[in-house]
Amino acid sequence: MNNTPLLLILFAAIAAALALLTALRPELTRVRGGKILAFMALCILPTLAMWAGVNEHLERSTSTKFCLSCHVMADFGKSLYVDDKSYIPAVHFQNHFVPTDHACFTCHTDYTLFGDYKAKWRGVHHVLVEYLGTIPKPEEIKLYTAYNNRECLHCHAGMRKYEEASSHHKNPEMLAKAATNQLSCISGGCHDTVHDVANLKDATFWTPKGNGK
Amino acid sequence: MTATLERRIRWSGLLIVVGLLLQILTLPLTHPLAFVGFALLGCPLVAAGMLFFLYSLVSHDTP
Repeated sequence: MNNTPLLLILFAAIAAALALLTALRPELTRVRGGKILAFMALCILPTLAMWAGVNEHLERSTSTKFCLSCHVMADFGKSLYVDDKSYIPAVHFQNHFVPTDHACFTCHTDYTLFGDYKAKWRGVHHVLVEYLGTIPKPEEIKLYTAYNNRECLHCHAGMRKYEEASSHHKNPEMLAKAATNQLSCISGGCHDTVHDVANLKDATFWTPKGNGK
Repeated sequence: MTATLERRIRWSGLLIVVGLLLQILTLPLTHPLAFVGFALLGCPLVAAGMLFFLYSLVSHDTP
């Protein structure tokens, strides 16, 4: 645990203690000082504690550890270590093209105004399925909608290696079509090996040597 | 009237305490259940306590 949650816990504990004091001694509010205390304890401090907690939980929910904490996601986590350059998530993860501690979220959020919140809402649905519904097999898990090139181009757009790659100039309109999502990077047949969890049993895996996160 | 106000303050304080305690329990954990517990239990309890406190203030007639 880093220091942030400790500070937040301490702050929330102080807020809770003051709220408890106000709840147990409401007669304090008969005087001016008590009124100020009640307003701080029952309005200002809980708001701040809640806001800080929301920020902390939202930030934490973007971590790779968080995403892989559901059992059904284990194979997807394993696929990040496949020793095969054709596996797009593996090559991004192993070469730190995405932050390794936020690997899932980096590619699976929508880079739109409310993309993060849409991703969170879907995540809440996933938790309900995990504990109350029928959990699908890993290979049955599909994206809600086809993967949008926008998520790839969030990083790759303007990148020299991307723009100059000979494979991206097989036809003159290729980059333009990719930019407008008319030609999918993934289902277009170029980078179509993604997690491929159904075939993991036949794969070989890379083992990080020290200093790995 | 003062007794009613104080009773409402007591209830709003207790709601906030329970909500904050739930939040404190979820904060050390990095797990989807902790997130859901925080967002669907802790936050609504705290918000309900705060709103009840504000309601008790505006609905209170000063003598």
